Amino acid sequence: MASLITCPHCGTRPKEEFSIRGTALARPHPAASEEDWHAYVYLRENPKGRYQEYWHHAGGCRRFLIVERDNVTHDVFSVVDAVAIRGMSE
Amino acid sequence: MSLTLFHRHVLEDYLAGFEAKANPNHLSVIRRPAIFSVLAHRGSEVLVEDGLKSIESIQLRNCAPGEWLVVSTTSGASTIENLLGEIAGASAVDQSDSRVLLQISGPNVRKILAKCVAVDLHADAFAIGASANMLCCHVAANLARTGADTFEITVPRSFAGSVFEEMMEMGREFALTAAFAD
Repeated sequence: MASLITCPHCGTRPKEEFSIRGTALARPHPAASEEDWHAYVYLRENPKGRYQEYWHHAGGCRRFLIVERDNVTHDVFSVVDAVAIRGMSE
Repeated sequence: MSLTLFHRHVLEDYLAGFEAKANPNHLSVIRRPAIFSVLAHRGSEVLVEDGLKSIESIQLRNCAPGEWLVVSTTSGASTIENLLGEIAGASAVDQSDSRVLLQISGPNVRKILAKCVAVDLHADAFAIGASANMLCCHVAANLARTGADTFEITVPRSFAGSVFEEMMEMGREFALTAAFAD
Protein backbone atom coordinates (compact mmCIF):
# COMPACT_ATOMS: atom_id res chain seq x y z
CA MET A 1 0.00 0.00 0.00
CA ALA A 2 1.30 3.39 -0.93
CA SER A 3 1.84 4.99 2.46
CA LEU A 4 2.47 8.62 1.57
CA ILE A 5 0.08 10.53 -0.65
CA THR A 6 0.85 14.06 -1.77
CA CYS A 7 -2.50 15.82 -1.62
CA PRO A 8 -2.61 18.75 -4.07
CA HIS A 9 -4.12 20.94 -1.33
CA CYS A 10 -2.49 19.73 1.88
CA GLY A 11 0.91 18.35 0.89
CA THR A 12 2.38 14.97 1.77
CA ARG A 13 0.18 13.06 4.17
CA PRO A 14 0.03 9.49 5.53
CA LYS A 15 -2.51 7.07 4.08
CA GLU A 16 -4.36 6.96 7.44
CA GLU A 17 -5.82 10.37 6.63
CA PHE A 18 -7.55 9.01 3.52
CA SER A 19 -10.46 6.77 2.83
CA ILE A 20 -10.27 4.77 -0.41
CA ARG A 21 -13.51 5.07 -2.36
CA GLY A 22 -12.89 2.60 -5.17
CA THR A 23 -11.97 2.68 -8.82
CA ALA A 24 -12.37 6.04 -10.53
CA LEU A 25 -14.92 5.17 -13.21
CA ALA A 26 -16.66 7.59 -15.51
CA ARG A 27 -20.32 7.89 -14.52
CA PRO A 28 -22.72 6.72 -17.26
CA HIS A 29 -25.23 9.08 -18.80
CA PRO A 30 -28.50 9.15 -16.79
CA ALA A 31 -30.31 7.63 -19.78
CA ALA A 32 -27.76 4.84 -20.21
CA SER A 33 -28.97 1.26 -20.34
CA GLU A 34 -29.49 -0.87 -17.25
CA GLU A 35 -26.50 -3.01 -18.23
CA ASP A 36 -24.25 0.06 -18.21
CA TRP A 37 -25.51 1.15 -14.80
CA HIS A 38 -25.19 -2.38 -13.41
CA ALA A 39 -21.60 -2.48 -14.63
CA TYR A 40 -20.89 0.96 -13.16
CA VAL A 41 -22.33 0.12 -9.75
CA TYR A 42 -21.28 -3.52 -9.31
CA LEU A 43 -18.66 -4.74 -11.75
CA ARG A 44 -14.97 -4.08 -11.13
CA GLU A 45 -11.89 -5.08 -13.05
CA ASN A 46 -9.61 -5.73 -10.04
CA PRO A 47 -6.51 -5.05 -12.14
CA LYS A 48 -2.96 -5.89 -11.18
CA GLY A 49 -0.69 -2.92 -11.73
CA ARG A 50 -1.40 0.67 -12.50
CA TYR A 51 -4.90 2.08 -12.03
CA GLN A 52 -6.90 5.06 -10.82
CA GLU A 53 -8.87 5.26 -7.61
CA TYR A 54 -10.93 7.82 -5.74
CA TRP A 55 -9.34 8.71 -2.43
CA HIS A 56 -11.25 10.90 0.00
CA HIS A 57 -8.98 13.05 2.15
CA ALA A 58 -11.19 12.54 5.19
CA GLY A 59 -8.62 13.69 7.74
CA GLY A 60 -7.57 16.79 5.83
CA CYS A 61 -9.22 18.94 3.20
CA ARG A 62 -12.13 16.49 2.75
CA ARG A 63 -11.77 16.69 -1.04
CA PHE A 64 -12.14 13.72 -3.37
CA LEU A 65 -8.84 13.02 -5.10
CA ILE A 66 -7.98 10.74 -7.96
CA VAL A 67 -4.87 8.75 -7.13
CA GLU A 68 -3.09 6.88 -9.88
CA ARG A 69 -0.99 4.17 -8.32
CA ASP A 70 0.48 0.76 -8.93
CA ASN A 71 -0.81 -1.89 -6.55
CA VAL A 72 2.18 -4.15 -7.26
CA THR A 73 5.10 -1.76 -6.83
CA HIS A 74 3.26 0.74 -4.54
CA ASP A 75 4.37 3.64 -6.75
CA VAL A 76 2.11 6.68 -6.81
CA PHE A 77 2.13 8.35 -10.21
CA SER A 78 -0.25 11.24 -9.74
CA VAL A 79 -2.70 12.73 -7.27
CA VAL A 80 -5.18 15.29 -8.53
CA ASP A 81 -8.41 16.78 -7.26
CA ALA A 82 -11.34 14.89 -8.78
CA VAL A 83 -12.78 18.18 -10.01
CA ALA A 84 -9.74 18.72 -12.19
CA ILE A 85 -10.29 15.48 -14.09
CA ARG A 86 -14.02 14.90 -14.03
CA GLY A 87 -15.11 18.54 -14.16
CA MET A 88 -17.48 17.90 -11.24
CA SER A 89 -17.85 21.58 -10.47
CA GLU A 90 -19.55 22.24 -13.79
CA MET B 1 -39.65 26.82 37.51
CA SER B 2 -36.60 28.85 36.76
CA LEU B 3 -33.55 27.20 35.32
CA THR B 4 -30.13 28.80 35.33
CA LEU B 5 -27.99 27.65 32.43
CA PHE B 6 -24.32 28.42 32.54
CA HIS B 7 -21.44 27.57 30.28
CA ARG B 8 -19.44 24.55 31.32
CA HIS B 9 -16.40 23.67 29.26
CA VAL B 10 -16.17 20.11 27.97
CA LEU B 11 -12.64 19.73 29.40
CA GLU B 12 -13.63 20.96 32.87
CA ASP B 13 -13.50 17.45 34.33
CA TYR B 14 -10.28 16.54 32.54
CA LEU B 15 -8.47 19.57 33.94
CA ALA B 16 -9.51 19.10 37.55
CA GLY B 17 -6.55 18.36 39.79
CA PHE B 18 -3.82 19.69 37.53
CA GLU B 19 -1.17 21.81 39.20
CA ALA B 20 -1.76 25.54 39.02
CA LYS B 21 1.77 26.50 38.06
CA ALA B 22 2.54 26.23 34.35
CA ASN B 23 5.72 24.49 33.25
CA PRO B 24 7.68 25.70 30.18
CA ASN B 25 5.74 23.17 28.08
CA HIS B 26 2.15 24.11 28.63
CA LEU B 27 -1.21 23.28 27.10
CA SER B 28 -3.71 26.00 27.62
CA VAL B 29 -7.39 25.58 26.89
CA ILE B 30 -9.06 28.71 25.56
CA ARG B 31 -12.35 28.86 27.40
CA ARG B 32 -14.77 30.59 25.01
CA PRO B 33 -13.32 31.41 21.60
CA ALA B 34 -15.52 32.47 18.71
CA ILE B 35 -15.04 29.94 15.90
CA PHE B 36 -16.77 30.13 12.53
CA SER B 37 -16.44 27.98 9.47
CA VAL B 38 -16.55 29.96 6.25
CA LEU B 39 -17.17 28.55 2.79
CA ALA B 40 -16.71 30.59 -0.35
CA HIS B 41 -19.30 30.29 -3.07
CA ARG B 42 -18.02 28.93 -6.36
CA GLY B 43 -15.96 31.53 -8.18
CA SER B 44 -15.57 33.94 -5.25
CA GLU B 45 -12.79 32.13 -3.37
CA VAL B 46 -10.21 34.89 -3.92
CA LEU B 47 -12.59 37.71 -3.01
CA VAL B 48 -13.68 35.95 0.17
CA GLU B 49 -10.10 35.24 1.22
CA ASP B 50 -9.17 38.90 0.70
CA GLY B 51 -12.23 39.95 2.68
CA LEU B 52 -11.35 37.61 5.54
CA LYS B 53 -7.74 38.80 5.60
CA SER B 54 -8.87 42.41 5.93
CA ILE B 55 -10.67 41.71 9.23
CA GLU B 56 -8.26 42.58 12.03
CA SER B 57 -9.80 40.89 15.05
CA ILE B 58 -9.79 37.35 13.62
CA GLN B 59 -7.27 34.64 12.86
CA LEU B 60 -7.74 32.76 9.63
CA ARG B 61 -7.15 29.00 9.42
CA ASN B 62 -6.97 27.12 6.14
CA CYS B 63 -9.09 23.99 5.87
CA ALA B 64 -9.50 23.28 2.16
CA PRO B 65 -9.76 25.25 -1.09
CA GLY B 66 -12.48 27.82 -0.44
CA GLU B 67 -12.95 26.77 3.17
CA TRP B 68 -11.60 28.41 6.31
CA LEU B 69 -11.97 28.45 10.05
CA VAL B 70 -12.20 31.90 11.58
CA VAL B 71 -11.00 32.05 15.17
CA SER B 72 -11.25 34.99 17.50
CA THR B 73 -10.36 35.19 21.16
CA THR B 74 -10.94 38.92 21.40
CA SER B 75 -14.36 39.47 19.81
CA GLY B 76 -17.64 37.79 20.60
CA ALA B 77 -19.48 35.47 18.23
CA SER B 78 -22.15 38.03 17.31
CA THR B 79 -19.53 40.63 16.37
CA ILE B 80 -17.72 38.14 14.16
CA GLU B 81 -20.99 37.00 12.63
CA ASN B 82 -21.79 40.57 11.58
CA LEU B 83 -18.32 41.08 10.13
CA LEU B 84 -18.50 37.83 8.16
CA GLY B 85 -22.01 38.66 6.96
CA GLU B 86 -20.62 41.68 5.14
CA ILE B 87 -18.38 39.53 2.90
CA ALA B 88 -20.11 38.88 -0.40
CA GLY B 89 -20.04 35.33 -1.72
CA ALA B 90 -19.33 33.68 1.63
CA SER B 91 -21.38 31.48 3.91
CA ALA B 92 -20.42 31.41 7.57
CA VAL B 93 -21.65 29.14 10.34
CA ASP B 94 -20.98 29.60 14.04
CA GLN B 95 -18.95 26.61 15.29
CA SER B 96 -18.01 28.09 18.68
CA ASP B 97 -19.90 25.41 20.58
CA SER B 98 -18.74 22.57 18.35
CA ARG B 99 -14.98 23.14 18.52
CA VAL B 100 -12.46 23.26 21.32
CA LEU B 101 -9.40 25.44 20.98
CA LEU B 102 -6.17 24.18 22.55
CA GLN B 103 -2.97 26.18 22.59
CA ILE B 104 0.25 24.28 23.15
CA SER B 105 3.54 26.08 23.66
CA GLY B 106 7.02 25.48 24.99
CA PRO B 107 10.54 24.58 23.90
CA ASN B 108 9.65 20.91 23.24
CA VAL B 109 6.34 21.55 21.53
CA ARG B 110 7.49 20.13 18.19
CA LYS B 111 8.74 16.94 19.84
CA ILE B 112 5.37 16.51 21.51
CA LEU B 113 3.43 17.23 18.32
CA ALA B 114 5.66 14.87 16.35
CA LYS B 115 3.94 12.08 18.29
CA CYS B 116 0.49 13.47 17.52
CA VAL B 117 0.55 14.50 13.86
CA ALA B 118 2.25 13.08 10.77
CA VAL B 119 3.07 16.44 9.21
CA ASP B 120 6.47 18.11 9.02
CA LEU B 121 6.28 21.05 11.43
CA HIS B 122 9.79 22.43 10.79
CA ALA B 123 9.70 26.20 10.37
CA ASP B 124 10.74 25.85 6.71
CA ALA B 125 7.78 23.60 5.94
CA PHE B 126 5.19 24.98 8.36
CA ALA B 127 5.96 28.64 9.01
CA ILE B 128 4.33 30.95 11.54
CA GLY B 129 0.81 31.64 10.32
CA ALA B 130 0.54 28.31 8.48
CA SER B 131 -2.46 26.14 9.23
CA ALA B 132 -4.00 22.97 7.85
CA ASN B 133 -6.44 20.20 8.63
CA MET B 134 -4.71 17.01 9.67
CA LEU B 135 -5.11 13.97 11.86
CA CYS B 136 -4.04 14.87 15.38
CA CYS B 137 -4.13 11.94 17.82
CA HIS B 138 -6.35 10.06 15.31
CA VAL B 139 -8.86 12.92 15.14
CA ALA B 140 -9.36 15.23 12.16
CA ALA B 141 -8.30 18.56 13.61
CA ASN B 142 -7.00 21.89 12.44
CA LEU B 143 -3.46 22.75 13.47
CA ALA B 144 -2.05 26.26 13.18
CA ARG B 145 1.34 27.68 14.02
CA THR B 146 0.87 30.96 15.86
CA GLY B 147 4.46 31.42 17.06
CA ALA B 148 7.91 29.86 16.82
CA ASP B 149 7.03 27.46 19.66
CA THR B 150 3.27 27.92 19.82
CA PHE B 151 0.61 25.92 18.03
CA GLU B 152 -3.17 26.06 18.21
CA ILE B 153 -5.32 23.00 17.67
CA THR B 154 -9.02 23.14 16.90
CA VAL B 155 -10.74 19.83 17.58
CA PRO B 156 -14.38 18.78 17.43
CA ARG B 157 -15.91 19.12 20.87
CA SER B 158 -16.85 15.48 21.36
CA PHE B 159 -13.28 14.36 20.57
CA ALA B 160 -11.63 17.01 22.76
CA GLY B 161 -11.35 14.73 25.78
CA SER B 162 -9.59 11.96 23.90
CA VAL B 163 -7.24 14.37 22.11
CA PHE B 164 -6.49 16.16 25.36
CA GLU B 165 -5.65 12.96 27.23
CA GLU B 166 -3.46 11.67 24.41
CA MET B 167 -1.58 14.96 24.17
CA MET B 168 -0.95 15.00 27.90
CA GLU B 169 0.34 11.44 27.61
CA MET B 170 2.69 12.46 24.79
CA GLY B 171 3.83 15.50 26.74
CA ARG B 172 4.48 13.64 29.96
CA GLU B 173 8.21 13.16 29.28
CA PHE B 174 8.49 16.92 28.79
CA ALA B 175 6.46 17.72 31.94
CA LEU B 176 3.56 19.18 29.97
CA THR B 177 1.07 20.98 32.19
CA ALA B 178 -2.45 22.05 31.31
CA ALA B 179 -4.87 24.69 32.48
CA PHE B 180 -7.60 26.98 31.25
CA ALA B 181 -6.23 30.14 29.72
CA ASP B 182 -7.96 32.53 32.12
